[in-house]
Amino acid sequence: MAKSLNRHFHFLGSSKRAKPSGPLWLPAADVYQTPEGWLVKVELAGVSAEDIEIDIQGNVLYIAGSRKDRSCGGDVSYQQMEITYSRFEKTLNFPASIDGATVEHNFDNGLLIIRLRKGGAVKSQTS
Amino acid sequence: MAEANEQNKGASKERVGEQFEIPVLPLQNTTLFPETVVPLAVGRERSTKAVEASLATEEKLLACITTKTDNVTGDDAKPSDLYKIGALVNIKRMMRNEGVMQLIVQGMDRFEVKEWVGEQPYLKAKIEILPELRRVDDEEIEALKRNIQGMIQQALALLPQVPPEVRMAVMSQDNPVQLAYFLASVLDLGVETEQKMLESSTVDGLLTLTHAALARELEIMQIRSKISSEAQSEMDKAQRDYVLRQQMKAIQKELGEDDTGEKAEASQLRERLEQADLPEDVRKEATRELRRMEQLPQSAPDYHVIRTYLEYVLELPWRKSSEEKLDLNEARKILDEDHYGLEDIKKRILESLAVMKLRPDSKSPILLFVGPPGVGKTSLGRSIARSLGREFERMSLGGMRDEAELRGHRRTYIGAMPGRIIQALRRVAVNNPVMMLDEIDKLGNDYRGDPSAALLEILDPQQNNTFRDNYLDLPFDLSKVFFIATANQLAPIPAPLRDRMEIIQLAGYSDLEKLNIAKQYLVPRQIKENGLTNEQLEITDDTINRLTSRYTREAGVRQLERTIGNIARKVALHVAEGSKEKVVVDASDVKEYLGGPRFYPESAREELPPGVATGMAWTEMGGEVLFIEATLLPGSSGLTLTGQLGEVMKESAQAARSYLWSHAVEFGINPEVIKQNGVHLHVPAGAIPKDGPSAGVTMSSALASLYTGRKVHPDTAMTGEITLSGLVFPIAGLKEKVLAAFRAGIRRIILPYQNEADLEDIPEDVRNQIEFIPVSKISEVLNAALEKDVSESPAAGYLPQSADHQPEQTGERLIAKEKDG
Repeated sequence: MAKSLNRHFHFLGSSKRAKPSGPLWLPAADVYQTPEGWLVKVELAGVSAEDIEIDIQGNVLYIAGSRKDRSCGGDVSYQQMEITYSRFEKTLNFPASIDGATVEHNFDNGLLIIRLRKGGAVKSQTS
Repeated sequence: MAEANEQNKGASKERVGEQFEIPVLPLQNTTLFPETVVPLAVGRERSTKAVEASLATEEKLLACITTKTDNVTGDDAKPSDLYKIGALVNIKRMMRNEGVMQLIVQGMDRFEVKEWVGEQPYLKAKIEILPELRRVDDEEIEALKRNIQGMIQQALALLPQVPPEVRMAVMSQDNPVQLAYFLASVLDLGVETEQKMLESSTVDGLLTLTHAALARELEIMQIRSKISSEAQSEMDKAQRDYVLRQQMKAIQKELGEDDTGEKAEASQLRERLEQADLPEDVRKEATRELRRMEQLPQSAPDYHVIRTYLEYVLELPWRKSSEEKLDLNEARKILDEDHYGLEDIKKRILESLAVMKLRPDSKSPILLFVGPPGVGKTSLGRSIARSLGREFERMSLGGMRDEAELRGHRRTYIGAMPGRIIQALRRVAVNNPVMMLDEIDKLGNDYRGDPSAALLEILDPQQNNTFRDNYLDLPFDLSKVFFIATANQLAPIPAPLRDRMEIIQLAGYSDLEKLNIAKQYLVPRQIKENGLTNEQLEITDDTINRLTSRYTREAGVRQLERTIGNIARKVALHVAEGSKEKVVVDASDVKEYLGGPRFYPESAREELPPGVATGMAWTEMGGEVLFIEATLLPGSSGLTLTGQLGEVMKESAQAARSYLWSHAVEFGINPEVIKQNGVHLHVPAGAIPKDGPSAGVTMSSALASLYTGRKVHPDTAMTGEITLSGLVFPIAGLKEKVLAAFRAGIRRIILPYQNEADLEDIPEDVRNQIEFIPVSKISEVLNAALEKDVSESPAAGYLPQSADHQPEQTGERLIAKEKDG
């Protein structure tokens, strides 16, 4: 009885079930240290390579872009939708400056793989 | 996160100012804010189409605008019903569920409708993304932010149910805009306020609005929380009581005390009350108490007090009497069966019975049996009950010192109980029992209370029909109760109490009576109790006589019965060991069974020296013979008395001496002997206290014998009170005294003239063997008691063994002095 009463008075967070969030989709990422430098994996299945931007500033690696639903349109209509189609941004901090590292990136089974090698010029390459 | 936000700014800026056409979802009662994730349910046809259109795009964007009023639905909302500013959202999840679309959307940017493009199949508008909120006064923003955070903390303290992760998220939110939008979407602020917050274009404005809304909300929350905690604590107490009571019931059930709830208990009592045969005033009082009890919870202490009280009231025999057997012949038979002799008492009981037969509503008599122990007072009470066919209840009053024990305690006291009288009546369950009040002479009486005062009411036939026990506080009719009190002595019973009862004296039994009692009751009973038969044990009359004279000393027969039992047990041992022969116990065998005789009765002495006389005393044990010894104390003058004599006895000794002194010549006494010599009077046995006036004549005889030198007849005993003028007054307890004297071998008894009538009580066989000499004056006593001859000189008394010289010398000297004077 007391419990139901409490439920009655419990309104914060229940009236709308809204949650605070950033405005954007933040994809998951793994970072490895390798003998040559760094290896970064980002979960970015369904993102076209041309929709990705990569930038380095000091010890920060900045990845941004958007996933766009290119299969929609026509006569199809959604029954269920769980994949987020929106702009994304990912900011990764490194212990030391990575300025001037060589950047290679390619897609492997839906993962964006970025290799950073010390020295050399920034080189953008698609595979 | 902060860095991400900064980047986010940059990214969003790209769109700012951009205008594009987009499906619009009208929202009722709710406002979406940027940077929050919200679930939405969409069911209306037009809204569904708008969502589907959005889903068909690459970016899944949708414009959400709130309706100005809540009485328009998503299907018929017109552009004019909608605000201009809304939130652009990205649809993150969608599921269809029975025709309803469940969405999770994420607020992205604020926008403003520039132009409505279409209403069918869904609302469509050209919108422009609004720029980031401007910061006007950074310090004010900081102040407002901190204030808001403080209030959030207060609010969370009032909401213990909020899960910790939400707490963490809220408390760690540092971006004031995000915080404000989150609060706005979480709190129920109303559409207007929410829309104002959404439309706010500066951070300062947004925070001011948030602050005001939150402050109001917090206040409401505090009041609600207070109300809820009060309501809860009240409910908690009620709930706790309820749970405890349930548990108690379970425990009672486990203990087998349940079967009735409090209601059942009360209704059970009510039922019994209705069925019980109660006087009207009692019923009224009981009904009132029952009503009080019904209003009390079972846990109230008074509840049980009242319940016990009601049970008492219901169990008392207010009108129930046992049926009276009023067959006089039958009653006589029972009394004769149970008791030998006691003709007077039997006669008195039969008379009462006869009255009851003629007048059934007559008051029961109140009898007092006075007599030595073991004469059958208590068993007589039992026989009376049996002969009347009534219940018998006995209570001992010995040592009782609190009147509350008889009359009960008032109910206001904890542990109060009714008195013994009411308790006894409840036990016997009839209102006309024979109630025996044993040992009424041994009632205590001190500062703690006087129970005899309470007995005055109980034993008064005029008052006891409305006896009021303190506990019951209701009048109970005791007039049908046949009260019998017993006592060993009459003297300690307060006069008013004695006055209320009919006194019946039971004297001790004579040896002949004892022999008959033993033959008729004691021996058969002991044979039976020890598992023997008449074929196995026979005790001769001689044996019984020997037992009464040498092995017991009592007025009753209790010790005699024990002694017979002792013999029977020893015979039982023989029989159990296999002996088949009949055992006949003869007087000569007694020593073998019981050892040597215990008592050598104080028998009449063969010869008494001058100065010794035989008296008789009454004791609780019956009667006894005692010797009074007097001796001269030459040279001293007073009267020395020893032998634990009481005041009355001492005074009668002085009276005896004074009388003899004043009439010395008349009795042939030389007054000089009295004058010159002191007297020592001793009454053995020295350890037993004695008192009473009845030894007056004995002391006179002893002193006269001493002064005259004439011996007292050794077979003569005497009793009687004397006066200074020489008269003899009557005494009490003559029967016991005579029986004792007879046992001691006395054959002549001097007694007061007025006591002659009492001789009728004495068994005939004794009476015929004794010569009684009634007297009214001391001179007659002395004539009867003293031998004619002067055996020795008057002074011989104090030196009986020594030679002739000294006494003669003393005598000569005394005479010489007389001559001188």
